[in-house]
Formats: sequence, structure tokens, C-alpha cells
Amino acid sequence: MASEALTAGKASPHGQRRLTQLPLWAGLTALAALVGLGLGSLGALLVQAPGVSPSSLWREPYLAGVLRFSLWQASLSTLVSLALAVPVAVALARRPRFVGRRLLLRAMELSLVVPSLIALFGLVAVHGRQGWAAPLWEALTGAPAGYLYGLSGIVLAHVFYNLPLAARLLLQELERAPAAHWRLAAQLGLQRQAIWRTLEWPALKRLLPRLAALIFTLCFTSFAIVMTLGGGPGSTTLEVALYQALKFDNDLALAALLALVQLTICLGLWALALSQGGAPSLVAGDDAMPLQGRWQRRDALGVSRFTDGCWLVALSLLLLPPLAAVVLAGLGGVTDLAAQSSLWPALGRSLVMAAGAGSLALMLGLALLAGRGWLAARGQRLTAGLMEGSGQLILVLPALVLGTGLFLLLRPRLGGGWQGYGLVVLVNGFMALPFVMQVLRGALLGLPVAQRRLADQLDIQGLARFRWLLWPRLRRPAALALAYAMTLSLGDFSVIALFGSPSAPTLPMLLYQQLGSYRWQTAAATALVLLATVAALFMCFAWLTRRLPRYPFACPPRPDFPQPPANDRPEP
Amino acid sequence: MNAKPICTALGVVAGLAAVSAMADEPRTLTVYTYDSFVAEWGPGPGIKEAFEARCGDCRLEFVALSGGVDLLQRLRLEGEGSAADLVLGLDMNLMAEARDLDLLAPHQANLSRLSLPVEWDDPVFLPYDWGRFAFVYDREALPNPPKSFAELLAAPDDLKVIIQDPRTSVTGLGLLLWMKRVYGDEAPAAWEKLNDHVLTVTGGWSQAYFSLFMNGEAPMVLSYSTSPAYHMAVENTDRYQAAEFAEGHYLQVETAAMLKTSEHPALARDFLDFVLTADFQRHIPLGNVMYPAIELGEERPAVFDRLIEPESFTFTPDEVQAHRREWIREWLNASTR
Repeated sequence: MASEALTAGKASPHGQRRLTQLPLWAGLTALAALVGLGLGSLGALLVQAPGVSPSSLWREPYLAGVLRFSLWQASLSTLVSLALAVPVAVALARRPRFVGRRLLLRAMELSLVVPSLIALFGLVAVHGRQGWAAPLWEALTGAPAGYLYGLSGIVLAHVFYNLPLAARLLLQELERAPAAHWRLAAQLGLQRQAIWRTLEWPALKRLLPRLAALIFTLCFTSFAIVMTLGGGPGSTTLEVALYQALKFDNDLALAALLALVQLTICLGLWALALSQGGAPSLVAGDDAMPLQGRWQRRDALGVSRFTDGCWLVALSLLLLPPLAAVVLAGLGGVTDLAAQSSLWPALGRSLVMAAGAGSLALMLGLALLAGRGWLAARGQRLTAGLMEGSGQLILVLPALVLGTGLFLLLRPRLGGGWQGYGLVVLVNGFMALPFVMQVLRGALLGLPVAQRRLADQLDIQGLARFRWLLWPRLRRPAALALAYAMTLSLGDFSVIALFGSPSAPTLPMLLYQQLGSYRWQTAAATALVLLATVAALFMCFAWLTRRLPRYPFACPPRPDFPQPPANDRPEP
Repeated sequence: MNAKPICTALGVVAGLAAVSAMADEPRTLTVYTYDSFVAEWGPGPGIKEAFEARCGDCRLEFVALSGGVDLLQRLRLEGEGSAADLVLGLDMNLMAEARDLDLLAPHQANLSRLSLPVEWDDPVFLPYDWGRFAFVYDREALPNPPKSFAELLAAPDDLKVIIQDPRTSVTGLGLLLWMKRVYGDEAPAAWEKLNDHVLTVTGGWSQAYFSLFMNGEAPMVLSYSTSPAYHMAVENTDRYQAAEFAEGHYLQVETAAMLKTSEHPALARDFLDFVLTADFQRHIPLGNVMYPAIELGEERPAVFDRLIEPESFTFTPDEVQAHRREWIREWLNASTR
């Protein structure tokens, strides 16, 4: 596994022992940092709390109701997102070439990182009572469009966020299937049903548990969406109760209790998911794209042309109109941007912080995965799982609890200025870990056996091993992971709001300042700048790590030149 | 488990920064406030410039938090070690709890210049602006807005309003107190009727106003009676106006206060004196979209003469502190049924 990829264990000559343990120590350091930060801040809160009474959870009908609703909406959102993501991913995999496919994939990456306030604006503009879709709804059902408010609205917004994420990850998993499998399927003349049973479902099955855990966590901890679209206090989630307890009522005991409940539920789910094994990844895959337009899949003809088309149109209809609404609103305010002297410094500040958070997340993610691989290779499955699971800790811990706890730890006081920014970078980096690890996992853990044995035989160790064996496979996933982590940090407001700031705002802060003082148009333009920056980041990283031709001046290969399969079969 | 090394590391970082801050040049006043106050177009920059020109060798530094509730919580967490000399933005409903922290010192400012709709003699909290909660409506969607709470509650169900949650937002809490003040023990019944008109309850004012109201989702939104001033003065449109309710409107007063632990108490008092001068107050009407706390005379923008001028009232801060939880519970029960 990964550690063996990095280091050859027994085969190494004397003096290499220290180096072989490097992955373990890197992993342990990252683990200590994570657990220290997470449990440290929760512990600080618990120490301050006068007395936690878990029984209030079921004795107090309000809290019981809150918990029930949180679970219900998160489960429903997860289920709907995944159930729809599977056919969408299958359709996308079956249609490797159509006009706008790349655009659609880019939009899918974007939707994850749109700040919730902006996403809400877009969703309301499209699905609201006066939205673009309202006349259609009224024509179809005869009733005015009110579906955006209430549980249906919450689920719709969560699906808007998570279906593209899920479909994108599932698509990568499908595209990782080696070319030989597809050739065999074609030779055997497998039909739709059989392909699903033998090729597609086994690939998806590996990924679904983790994906479910990730999406459930994101939905469970969602705040602004649930509150705005919920319709009333009947739709109260744990995060709202936590906010109330911590901020309005100063009830640290209750806040700590609620945080513990959230931690237990989400970590329990992660434990369940991680025990299912599998190696999902979000690789910007040119790695194993076996069927890229080389022949048409047998099942791509006939009725599936129609159904696939339907799924893809449906995905576009879900994803693109709200984004378009945001862009349109932003264009209306572009003229105000020139007068905004604070915009470009804010963008610069945000980018610097995002770069810090992104690199931190990348390093931590690599360290944890390397440590996990080292442990798993030595049969320590439980510790290995623990190490990987710890990456999710900061995401499932409510940001409010993390911030307050850190505050208590850092008392008597937290200086302003760069310390505040530093903390934000730190927390943002940790929060991006689950995404980064999801992206890196496959590349780091799925090294083909043959390549590894060859490297062992040739005694390629240490740096050389990293340079020639790992880095080529890691380059693109690492860039994608960095892009995800950076954009998450770019769009984040929750953490930066915790620590407060001197008058120099970051981009999301500027956005909220503009909203707080009625400047809608300018705020929409700022949001547009944010979206454009995110898109540019993804494109920039994809371009930087594109596969350069090895011999730039050689003749192009003849089209009929048989190309070797991109990959050996990954280790089962 | 492993919290200690992190604590120490972060502690060292914090310590280093504190040392570097101490080596800083002249007197610096640190003011905690909320983020729209310090925005480029908000009142903050103008006030900073005016105050620094007035005191000569001092500096004013704003630290922005999300809102009044966050200010209170920050003070509570920092206690006597707070870096703040002043805190700007605690409203009346947070006063009692802030007072109980025992961190604030008397302002000693001359209150005779104050111009508020209510009597004010608080020794600790100094008002710097005020406003009234109100429902802002879109004249194009709602030509004839309700003229009282009673009319709103009795209106046909298709008249929708957007309100905010009293558990998370200042305006939401304002509506809760407003209803309680108007309806007293009948408040739960009134809430049940109002809920038929509620499109949704947002977490904060920004979502309600920006994401929903400006998108035309409902013709009315809970906001301030001064909101139309911004639309009229800056956007040159009369489309958005505040509905005047016959029962009267609940008042919000935002206050400034200084900390006992301030390193520059004299300078902090200078600032509080400065709060009730035209040099501070002229930035309020359009910068913060609230009423100034003194008579600005000619300097008050003309659009403020076109705002509604209803009766206004409040509970005392102590009443709010004593009953807030109970009233929120009452609202929850009336609204989740």
C-alpha cells in the first residue's frame, strides 16, 4: 500500500530504517494536531460548563424534536442526492463526448463551494414564488409555486449542493475501471443489465458508504439553508440550537452536549463507512480513461440515448439556472466594482489565506494517508482506520464550538490582526481535510502491484521512489485537492466570523459587509468575482498539471497506433 | 489527549503578538463593533478620521464581529483580559446581560445633547443611534399595506411576510418583543395568526432582505423603519417603504460603552464625549441607516423627514433579560404547532 510505495520495508539496506518509518511519524504528527485541536477545544468548553446532563436530550421535547428533525432532513437529503447521483454519473460515464460536457463538469465542481448566501439567492431566483420556474410550476400543477419553503426546499437546496459533488466522485470511480474490463465486456456482448452488475455497481458500491457519510455530515451541519428555507421554527436543526445555546443563552453545558451528540452521530457514521473499505477518489482523471472516444459502448445505443439525455438535461436544469441567476445579478453590479477600493486587496488577502489553508490541508492529508497506509500494510487495521477517520473530525465538529473552544484555550486574550487570520487559516485547512483526503486517497493507496514490485527489485528508495513512482500519479490529484481546499477556504465565512477581524476584510467578509448595508448589487458583483476566482483556480491548477508530451518535438502518434492501457490493474 | 502541545504552541504565538503589540507607538484605542459599521462605506472610516484628527497623537482601531450578540459573547469569553477599550453596538436588549458581566465603566458623558424618543439616564451605556423595527413593503407588489398589527393578522392568507428568528437575529428578537408589548398575554394567539402569513423565518436579516425580499418573494419583510431612507437617498427609489402600525413600534437603541480594564481610560472617555458630537453623528444616518442620537439640524439628510414617525416603546433591559427565554419558548410553542 502507500507506505510500501514510499518505502520498501525489509528490502531496504541498513541505515534506511529511520526513513521507512517516516510515513508513520508524519501521520502521527498530523493525527496529534487534529485530535489536539478538535478535542482540545471541545474539552475547553466542557471544562467551563457547570454540568452536562445528557438526559435533557430526551426529557426536553424541544431538543428531542430538534434532533429528530436534523436526522430526518439530513438522511432524506443524503438519500435523494445519492439516488439521483448514481444515474447521472452512469450517464456521464457512458457519454464521454458531448458538447458542453467539460463545462458541466466544471459547474459541478463549482457548486460545492458557492457560499450559502449566494446559493440561496440563486435558488430563490429560480425556484422561489416569483422565480423563473414559478410559471411552469403553476401551469403544471395549477397551484402557486411554494415548494421552496419547508422540507422540500431544504432537500432541494441540499441536493443542489451535494448531487454534483456525489456525481462527480462517482464518475471518477467509474472511469477508473481498466480498459481491459470494457474490452472484455464488449467481446462478451454484455448488455445493459450485465454491465451494471459486473462493472458499474461494484465500482460504485465501494464509494457509496463514504460519500453517504460525507454528504450526511454536510447536510446535518447545514445552518443558513435550513433556517432560510425551513419555513419556521418547526425546521430547527442541531446547529441552530447550538447557536442559541452558545450565543444567546450562554449555556456552555448545553452547547457542549449538543456538540457531543453531533460528533457521536457523524463519527459513528464515518466509522461505519470507513469499515466498508474501498478506495474512492476524485482524480482529475486522465489516468484511466480507457474509453475516451475510441469506440462506442454497446449499451450507448438505443433507448439509453434517450434516458441518458434526460438525466443530463435534468442535471443541467438543477445546476445551471441558479448559477446563471447569480452571474446575471453580479453583472448588474459590475459597474459598482470600479468604485470599490477594498475589493482587490480583499481578494488578495483571501487568496493568500486560501493558499495557506490549502497547503496545510494537502500536507496533513498526505501525512494521514501515508500513515494510514503504513499501518494497514502492517496489519494494524483499527489504528489505520482511526488515522483516516481523524481527518473528518474537524468537519463534524461545529465551527462555533471549535471557535469558542479555541478562544477559551487561548485566553486571556487573542490578539487581533494576523493572529486572527492565522487561526482562520489553520481551521480552514483542517476543515478541508475530508475533501482533500477523498481526492488523494485513490492515487496514494491504489498503486499497482507490478510497479511497486519493480521498484522494490530495482531498489528505488526514498526521494527517487517518491519522484518516479508516486509523484507522477499524485501530481494531478494533489492539484485538484489543493484547488478544492483553497476554494473552500476562499468561500468560508463561518470561521472568519468567529474570530473577528480588523477593518481589513477578506472577500466573503466584504460580501457580508455589503449585504449588511443594503448594497445588493455590489454584493452580487463581489459574489461573481468570488465565483470567477474559484473557476480560475480550478482551471489554473488543471493547466499547470496537465500531462505534457514527453517529447514535445516528436511527430504526433498515428491515430491507429496501439496505445498501452493507461494503468495496470490497481491492487485489489 | 494531545491538547497540551497545541495549547502551548498557540499560547506562545499569542504571547509573541502581545509583546509586539506592547512595543507599539502612541495610544491606540481598540473598539469592538459589528462588521457593517467598519465597512468602507459605513460610518467607521469617517469616524476614525474625525477622532484621530481631534485627539492628535492617538489611533482608533476597529475590530469587527458579526453582530451585537457576538460582541457580548466575545466580552464574556475574554473577561478582564479583553483587548477592547470600547464596545460599540450592544443594543438595549443585550444591555442587562452586558452589565452583569461587571466589565464596563460609567461613561460620564453629558446626556443633555441626546435626542431619543425615550428618556435615557443610563450611567454605563451611551446611545449613539436608534431606530424602530418595522415591516418594509414593496409598493409595487402591495399598494395598500396593513395599517396596524390587527389588520396584518386579519389580512387574507396570501399576504406573506418574511421574518427573522428571535433565537439568532436582533431584528427577530425585536419582533418578538414588539408583539409581546402589543399583545401581552394574548401574544401566543397573535403569533398563531401571524404565522399564517409568514413565508419563512430566516436566521439573519441579510438572508431575509437580500435573498428573499429583494427577489420579490414576499411583499413585506421585517426590518427597520429607516431602511427606506437608504433606498430613497442612495438608490433614488420610493418603491420600498415602511408600514406604519397604529399600535406603535418597538424601539431599538444602539449603545457604546467603555471597559473598566481599558489601558487608556481618559482617551476612552474622550471618545464617548465625541460620540454625541456632530463629527460622529453625521456619519450615522446614511452610513448606518439609523437615526442619529442628537439633533443634527441641517446635516440630517432630507429623506429622513419622509420616514414614518409612529409612537414607539420598549421594555426595560431588565424585563427583557428576565423574560427572554420564557417568551422565546412561548413563540416556539405557538409556531411549531
